[in-house]
Formats: sequence, structure tokens, C-alpha cells
Amino acid sequence: MAPTKGSSKGPSSGGASKGAKSPKGSKPAGMSSSSRVSKPSGKKGAKRPPPQEVKSKARTAPEMLAKKKKRVYTEAELDLPKLNQITPVGVVKPKGKKKGKVFVDDQEGMMTILAMVNAEKEGQIESKMMKARQLEEIREAKRAEAEARMNEKKSKLDAVKDSIRNKKKNKGGKDKASESSSASRSTSDSKPVKSKRKSVSFA
Amino acid sequence: MRELTEEEAKVLFSKLANYTGRSLNNLIAPPEGDQTERHVFRLQGSRVFYLPLRLANYATSIPRANLLSAGTIIGKFTKTMKFRLHITALSVIAPHSRYKVWIKANGEMPFLYGGNVLKAHAARWSEDCPEHSGVIVYSMNDEPLGFGVTARSTAEAKKLEPTGIVVFRQADAGEYLREEDSLFTA
Repeated sequence: MAPTKGSSKGPSSGGASKGAKSPKGSKPAGMSSSSRVSKPSGKKGAKRPPPQEVKSKARTAPEMLAKKKKRVYTEAELDLPKLNQITPVGVVKPKGKKKGKVFVDDQEGMMTILAMVNAEKEGQIESKMMKARQLEEIREAKRAEAEARMNEKKSKLDAVKDSIRNKKKNKGGKDKASESSSASRSTSDSKPVKSKRKSVSFA
Repeated sequence: MRELTEEEAKVLFSKLANYTGRSLNNLIAPPEGDQTERHVFRLQGSRVFYLPLRLANYATSIPRANLLSAGTIIGKFTKTMKFRLHITALSVIAPHSRYKVWIKANGEMPFLYGGNVLKAHAARWSEDCPEHSGVIVYSMNDEPLGFGVTARSTAEAKKLEPTGIVVFRQADAGEYLREEDSLFTA
């Protein structure tokens, strides 16, 4: 393997030497170019195999590691919509947490739970009572209203009845008066007959 | 036999609190600070037992499969994690009851045979009791006979006809005979 690599890298080093040659052509470029030229020219003969190996190691190990580290994203960085994730919202459990059930046996724990439950229950009962009271009030009000309406209706009916009775009475009185007057005027036999009839019908 | 988890304790207490008032604290508070004499709740299978801590500690020496019962059965957890109180819990909750109904002697038998409490059978009941809240049913000589849930609030129950139901039965002492086979075994 190594020799083949060496053969492949050979031309590249040659390329570098070419690169070195080109600055030779352009001398007025600067001091750095001249120093570059001097280095490869000095090491040309002996250093062909070792730099190749070093280069290959450097490419694989550090670069790859760096890349891997960079490509690990946290979920927050990704900005994915929550519904698009593998684990549904609310199911995610913290990683370091202990598995299994958490028991409550100490008295304080029980007491706190009991106090919470009691408070909740009392709140519920209180609200129930309030509701019941309100409903009762509403019912009472409705009942009172209905009663008032009934009374009103009754009184109206009574008034109408009375008025009719009065009318009848008045009419009867008038009729009687007229009749009596007419009877007194015309004949006295018709009136006693009528009264007799009435008494018979009611008895 | 194991302790209850937080969730289980919550479910259990909320059920007990239906029937009892604030004095429910006395159930788990130790008598005058004696830690070994305090009572605890323990779960065996799906059943919850109420027993002194001393007894619960002894119970650890018996294999789970062989342990049938220890202390008083309060009730059991259903598969949907609801809690069902058994009649055996009556002795635990009766002294701490929040609402009470006393039934006449002629209503005792119908109730003990599994019937609901009718208005005609109810002699008297706690004032200001809302509907659908837990009540303990007592006989006229103050013996607890069972427990149930009110069908009507006290105010409404007064207007009810005599054949109307005032309390829906949840458990009665007759279950000791009727449910004899299944009450103590799984």
C-alpha cells in the first residue's frame, strides 16, 4: 500500500516543485516566495515517503473527528416542528431518572397528599353547595312569580265574573223593575206565577 | 405487599374524602408520636390494606403469593386505576363521616339486602348535604350499616315523595354474607 501511495504522491510533490519553479520565474514577487523555493529544494531527495504518511494520518484522524463533533445537533438547534418529532410531546422522560415506581411511605408525604386532596374535595363541596343554593333561589323566585301570576289571573277572572254578575243583577233588577212597572200597569197575575216557577225549579 | 405510589395514594384519599371530613388525618397520624404504632396503607395485588406499621413489617416475612390478607381491607384498585371501597372499610370511615343518614327499623332490611334508601325509610339526615356526595347509613341506634351516595340534596329530599330514592347504595353490611366468597380472596 505504502509504495503505491508513494507513487501517487510523487507527482503531487512534483507539482509542488513545479509550483516552486514558477515563483522562480517571477522573481520580483517577494521574500516569502524565495524562502518557499529554498525549502522544497533542500528536502527533495530524502523526505518523499515520510510526509506522505503524516499527511494521510492527519486527514483521517483529526479532520474526521472535528467533522463528527460539528454535525451533532441538539433538537432545539434543528427547530423542527414539535409534531414532526419521533417522540410525542409529553412522553419524553428525563434520561438520568430512576426507573420504576416512587413510593410514598413517610408520614409527611402522605399528609401533604391528604391535605391537597382534602382541600380539593372541600372546594368541590363548597361549589356544589353554592350551586344548589343558587338553583334553589332561582326555583323559589320562579315559584313566587308563577304564584303571583296565578293570583293575578284569578283576580282578573273574579273581576270579570263579578262584573258579569253585576250586569246580570242590574239587568235582572231593571227587568224586574220594568216588569213590575209594566205588571203594575198591565196585570197583577203574571208576577206571582213567575216567582212560583222559580221556587219550584230551584227546590 | 408494598407501599402506595403517589398517584395511588391520591386516588385512595380522594375516594375516602368523599365520605369523611378533615378528621381523615387521624387515619395516618400516629397516636402521640409513636412511629411503630402508626397505621399505614399497603397494596397487595390490587387490594389496599390498612394496618399498623408493626404488622406491615411482619408481613414482609411472608411470600407475596402466600399472603392472603393483613389488617383491614379498604378496597381495591380497578384496572382503570379507579378505587372501589369495600364494605370492610366501613369501620375505618364511619368514625370520621362527613354526612350521615339514619334509617328507620323498617328500612334496615331492604337496605341490608342491597336496596337503595327510600325517603320513607330515612328517619333523619345531615343538614346542608349536597347531592351526589358520600354518606354513611346508620340504623336508629347509631350502628353503621353501610354507605352510599345521596341522590338529592337535603333541601330537595324534603320535597320528595315517600317512594323516591334519597341514597344510592354503594356498600352495605349484608355484603359480608352475599359476597362472602369474593370479598377476601382475589
